[in-house]
Amino acid sequence: MTAAPLSDARPAAQPSAALRRRTPPRRLWSALLYHAVMLVIAAVFLLPFYWMAISAFKNNAEIFANPVSWWPVPFRSENIGILFSREDFPFLRQFANSVFYAGSVAVAVCLSCSLAAYSFGCLRWRGRDLVFGITICALLLPAIVTFLPVYLAWSEVGLTGTYWPLIAPFFLGDAFFIFMLRQFFLGVPRELMDAARLDGASEFRIWWQIVLPQVRTALVIVGLFAIVYTWNEFFAPLIYLQGRENFPLSVGLFTFRSQRAVEWSISMTGAFFTALPMVILFLLTQRLFTRGLTQATFK
Amino acid sequence: MGAVTLSGLRKLYGTHEVIKGIDLAIAEGELVVFVGPSGCGKSTLLRMIAGLEDVDYGTIEIGGRDVTENAPALRGVAMVFQNYALYPHMTAYDNMAYGLRRAGLGTAEVDRRVRETAALLQITDLLSRRPRMMSGGQRQRVAIGRAIVRDPEVFLFDEPLSNLDASLRVEMRSQIARLHRALAATMIFVTHDQVEAMTLADRIVVLNGGRIEQVGTPREVYHHPANLFVAGFIGSPAMNLLPAVLFRAGGAAGLRLADGRTLDWPGPAPALPDGAAVTLGIRPERVSASGAAAGDSAGEVTLAEHLGDETILHLRLDDGTGLTLKAPGEAAAAVGDRLAVRFDLTGASLFDSAGARVQPG
Repeated sequence: MTAAPLSDARPAAQPSAALRRRTPPRRLWSALLYHAVMLVIAAVFLLPFYWMAISAFKNNAEIFANPVSWWPVPFRSENIGILFSREDFPFLRQFANSVFYAGSVAVAVCLSCSLAAYSFGCLRWRGRDLVFGITICALLLPAIVTFLPVYLAWSEVGLTGTYWPLIAPFFLGDAFFIFMLRQFFLGVPRELMDAARLDGASEFRIWWQIVLPQVRTALVIVGLFAIVYTWNEFFAPLIYLQGRENFPLSVGLFTFRSQRAVEWSISMTGAFFTALPMVILFLLTQRLFTRGLTQATFK
Repeated sequence: MGAVTLSGLRKLYGTHEVIKGIDLAIAEGELVVFVGPSGCGKSTLLRMIAGLEDVDYGTIEIGGRDVTENAPALRGVAMVFQNYALYPHMTAYDNMAYGLRRAGLGTAEVDRRVRETAALLQITDLLSRRPRMMSGGQRQRVAIGRAIVRDPEVFLFDEPLSNLDASLRVEMRSQIARLHRALAATMIFVTHDQVEAMTLADRIVVLNGGRIEQVGTPREVYHHPANLFVAGFIGSPAMNLLPAVLFRAGGAAGLRLADGRTLDWPGPAPALPDGAAVTLGIRPERVSASGAAAGDSAGEVTLAEHLGDETILHLRLDDGTGLTLKAPGEAAAAVGDRLAVRFDLTGASLFDSAGARVQPG
């Protein structure tokens, strides 16, 4: 005698539609196309950097070899030693100059612009919005317009040939960074500052001890922007500074190239080691950088 | 602890006047609740007392001292904010100690006061945590601790329970009430929650449009609203406000409702002439379904809210007026049912055509 089936006749291996987990329809082709386009665009941007990087470890003949060699064979690491020991291209000295220049500007910008942004974003005073508007208008003024009178002023006080004209103005703020930091400051809850006022903190102390710690990400971003901008800055150091010992890398590399046009490999080694710190800096702070930019955008 | 006296207080933003002349005396050790609709100026008034908003006209005295021009830290006040306003990068200990350090107290004294306050609020185990590692209730306790530790003359609470869930709100409310009794401190509490106002307050200050509408104990404000605004604002569900005409019959007075039915006014006749247009204010719990008997009025049920221990019925009367009544337990009435209602005018309020409460003649 056989037992009657207790359940319905549906096979257990095929669960009903209600029990089956839904999966979104695959868009394989559109995903492939998207990534293909992105790879091409990325390659277009990366190719010059890659070319510079491999050329840094070739000699002149290998750089211009036909057919093109996409990997340095042999790998000429001795180029690094040559670069660091050239008397007509004091790379390490100029690297130190660039670090000093970029670091000083980053510190100056973070201090001065965050103070101004605190005032524009967190304090209430008569005419605040008007002054902020005028500050933003400074963005519309091309730097080249004011360059000559500013140069004459620095010349008058005898400070051309030093880093003062390059760094000191940033201690007085920068319209772009003030605007950017203000966006972050607006996101700091007003009650935090009120609580600090009730706790007896001065406005300076509130800025330093309460507000700045809340916008650390913004300060890192502004500092990075300032460093990248200063590291690549060419015109102002070229005008204000004299002597290759005083140049930052941006100008030093240019003067070396203009004087030793045939030495492509050393130029490329110099360019590679000039760009490398910025690449490393960006890779180290990438997550912070993108997060901060997103925050600023959606404020 | 200090008494607070506000005299002729006014505040303008540009030409827009947000506080329109506030005169108020708060006794030492009193817990006063500012209540009112959004934008009525209650938080602005609190911030003016704290020194976080400038005073355009008038004076503020705390503990007998004129503090109108004093910086916030020099007023002897401490404030608890709606969003806690704990410094995110500091531990609970440092949050509580920050103000004491700014006041120049020594390390040992700071430590003693922080730990004593933490023990009082049972937050000792939280002292090493940063705000993001705490729940909403824990943060609020630390925020209250930060206020207590400064030993202020006056505590200011700016909607401190709004960000908490319902059960935590009840718990924190009772904790604040216990603190008030334990510290015997002067406290000013801003809220839009009437239950908080009714349960916590020694006196309620009802604000509207930058003006005080009424100051009184919770019972006074609830049972004897000074005007139509207070009558409509205090109480949930709100007081029923029915248009009527006053008539006199002999020595007694009565009301003729919009549907033509008449009610006898209990007690002394109001000091208004015969035929005066009035508004009858009657609480929902003073209205009852009259069952099969003919009632004082009748209408159709438009909404029934079953709360378990009581049912709130919303009716549309025959003359189109809305009416709310509270019935004990589970009422059988359903939407669309026709219901006769009876009014218990004991404790009802009458308002004249200007909206002011009518006193007995």
